[in-house]
Amino acid sequence: MGKEVWEKAYALLEAYREGKLSRRHVLSGLVRLGLGTVAAQRFLEVWAQGKLLPSAPEAPYEAPVTPERVAFLRKKPYQGVTINILILKATVGDAVKYMAPLWEKETGGKVNLAEVPIETLYQQIFTDLTTGIRRYDAYMTGAWFYGDFFTTDPPYINPIDDFLKDPRYPYWDPKEMLPPMRELYTWKGQTYGTLFDADSQVLYFREDILTNKDYQRRFKEKMGYDLPVPPRTMKEMHDIADFFTGWDWNGDGQPDWGIALHAKVNEQGFFHFLTLAAPYVISKDNPRVFWFNPDTMEPLINSDGHVRALEEYALFMRNGPRDMLGWTLGEGWNLFLSGRSVMEPTWGDLPTLAQDPKASKVKGKVGAAPIPGTTEAYDPLAKAWRKYSLNRVGNVNGGSWHMVISRFSKNKEATYDFLAFMANRKNYFFLITHGWTGVQPGVKYAFFPPYGTGSVGEWEAQGWDQHDAIAFTRAYYENLTLPLQEPYLRIPGAAEYWRELDVQVSNVLAGNKKAKQALDEVYAAWQKITDRYGRDKQLKVYRASLGLK
Amino acid sequence: MRVEERPGIGGRRRISWFPYLSLFLAVLWVVAFTLYPLLSALWYSLNTYVLGRGIVGFVGLGNYREVLASQEFWHSLGVSLLYALLAAPLETALGFGLAWLVHLRPPGYRAFQAIFLAPLFAMDVAVGYLGVTLFSQQGGLLDHILRRLGLEISWLSSTWGGLAGGLILDIWLWTSFCFLVSLAGLSTLNEEMYEAALLETKSSWTVAFRIALPVIWPVLSLAFLIRFLEALKTFGLVYALTSGGPGTSTLLLSPLVYLTTVRFFNFGHGSAMGFLFLVLASVFIALFFRQLRRVVEA
Repeated sequence: MGKEVWEKAYALLEAYREGKLSRRHVLSGLVRLGLGTVAAQRFLEVWAQGKLLPSAPEAPYEAPVTPERVAFLRKKPYQGVTINILILKATVGDAVKYMAPLWEKETGGKVNLAEVPIETLYQQIFTDLTTGIRRYDAYMTGAWFYGDFFTTDPPYINPIDDFLKDPRYPYWDPKEMLPPMRELYTWKGQTYGTLFDADSQVLYFREDILTNKDYQRRFKEKMGYDLPVPPRTMKEMHDIADFFTGWDWNGDGQPDWGIALHAKVNEQGFFHFLTLAAPYVISKDNPRVFWFNPDTMEPLINSDGHVRALEEYALFMRNGPRDMLGWTLGEGWNLFLSGRSVMEPTWGDLPTLAQDPKASKVKGKVGAAPIPGTTEAYDPLAKAWRKYSLNRVGNVNGGSWHMVISRFSKNKEATYDFLAFMANRKNYFFLITHGWTGVQPGVKYAFFPPYGTGSVGEWEAQGWDQHDAIAFTRAYYENLTLPLQEPYLRIPGAAEYWRELDVQVSNVLAGNKKAKQALDEVYAAWQKITDRYGRDKQLKVYRASLGLK
Repeated sequence: MRVEERPGIGGRRRISWFPYLSLFLAVLWVVAFTLYPLLSALWYSLNTYVLGRGIVGFVGLGNYREVLASQEFWHSLGVSLLYALLAAPLETALGFGLAWLVHLRPPGYRAFQAIFLAPLFAMDVAVGYLGVTLFSQQGGLLDHILRRLGLEISWLSSTWGGLAGGLILDIWLWTSFCFLVSLAGLSTLNEEMYEAALLETKSSWTVAFRIALPVIWPVLSLAFLIRFLEALKTFGLVYALTSGGPGTSTLLLSPLVYLTTVRFFNFGHGSAMGFLFLVLASVFIALFFRQLRRVVEA
């Protein structure tokens, strides 16, 4: 057979593996490609040996599944084994709670889940690890806790590369993850996390409102240029926010807003700032340095770029209710979902929740795009502003909540089995397409051609509006594959560094401080934290996190 | 302590170990749950602690110097003092007033007694989150009523709004404690004294302030002291509303110590803050009792 025929044959087999085609369809397809009936059957059998089956009765909650897994499950391998996992008391934790009984039925094992709120998760994990209690086999972690797991040698958590090679465990392939997301689940080339949440912030907007002819005409009269859908620069985003603030554009008799933000301190509001600040600092001339000088560990947070980013971010406060300053995630999302805000930069929970007609008035009206860029970025090492036609930067901001296995676990195999079970395509696809789980997509098969191998029909089958599904996944994919990505802070004490930033960002939003003064104070606080942790040690980890020697 | 000796077999005196055992258990309790944590915290306050590496160096009074030089510490201490100075007197006064009303035994006073005591059984963090539903500008009940009256307050997103919201909840929660103490104090008063006083004046409030209040003053003062110290330690009420924000403008001292110590594992600074608070509370208690002694002696 020629190369082209082989490629077509493998495309058929891939579709079979993913459950999109039946065995009969694949066989007839292979026959049409020129193989005889017997040869086609043999070809399929050989391919399936040690490969993947679309499903199996022994593994009703997994697809695809390896033949070894099927044989393994026949023994009910974890009968009498109990694993203990610490999870976040939030939507992502609910997703684990949903999956646990399914795994228990399939394997005979038992999962004990302890839930803790986000305020105490970090403390609970590291108290468990450092005080010798060690009662948990696995922890749900935020990606910014990683640096703290590697303060000891060997680290507190267990790599999973050996498990990944073993076909007895539920099938999932880390290579399916988009590169910036995969990076968050690994450390120095080894994989530690099992596929779960893939956080990233993009811009969601009301496509029906931005494409309204009358509003477009009025926007052009006021701003002097065509209303851009979506906004591509921060200036355009500000103009749109200003234009849609303070008048009734949704016809409910109340003035509406240009933006919704969840900006409460000690919550997750500061991620907004990180997301919007990226294109002011990261550029093709400075693709990796955002947080610290990688030679001295001196903070760069009060650079001209960061200061301008904060100044411009604070301007958005006039485009939403004053109460945004005290809003947590749900309250911020509600403003958009209730149809009273024209834009919101946030996580993928928003379009997913928008599909629920009980909670949303915007199903089928949600547009999405990567975060707008800038035409100027500051290089904090060269201490110079540089001009660009358009400087766009992707991000993986957020928790990207996922599970890691404790080095002290006595049931690593069963624990990995459960975690891999949730990462299996069938379960993961369920999780990313249901809003209540809080799990965001980070694998190729979640996206549609030409980007990925998924199909919009699968999303529609889960209750999604076709337009929203396409807009969401396209924006998400584009964001995660932009050539420039904002580096994520993964060093010991990251939570403490971020808390100092969070407090000062909140001060600026409240009008209590100027951006420069606030970020100068963050600079001073970060210097103290670095000194306490040990500058040389921090520098080493920071450089490793950037991939520098 | 007198150890009892009893005649044993063969006429020998047998020592009873029970008093020693009792004393030992009491000492063990104090050592395990008071002295050890206190000394341990003192040791941490003199060292630098890093997560994963433990204590990495002795710094003497360095942590205290840094804490005392920190704006955040002084700000939180100031906000806590302001909060306590507003909450404790208001709760004591209101508690006494309500107790006096109940003491007069109006119709249905038993029902009011139960209603006034009910908040005592609520947890402060739960009350704090209840406050979010009251004060939220997205459908909060109290906020809605006030808006109808033309009052717009940013309860959850401004410094004064957050503190006022916390104080309202604190007063609702803890007035009941002062009410209970006042009621207990009033119940010890001589009935004949009331009756005689009521013959002198027709105003029951005059009797309350001229007769009842001075008599139960020592008891009420203790209630005030307890509330003042508790209010200084307030954690959940304001934090649940504002998370200490905007910035750290409503961050009281207890949440600051919690964030520093428990959330970010900076045991050195957190322990130093705890000890400084202990010193401050001890000074307040000493001053208070000196003043109380003078009043009682007078």
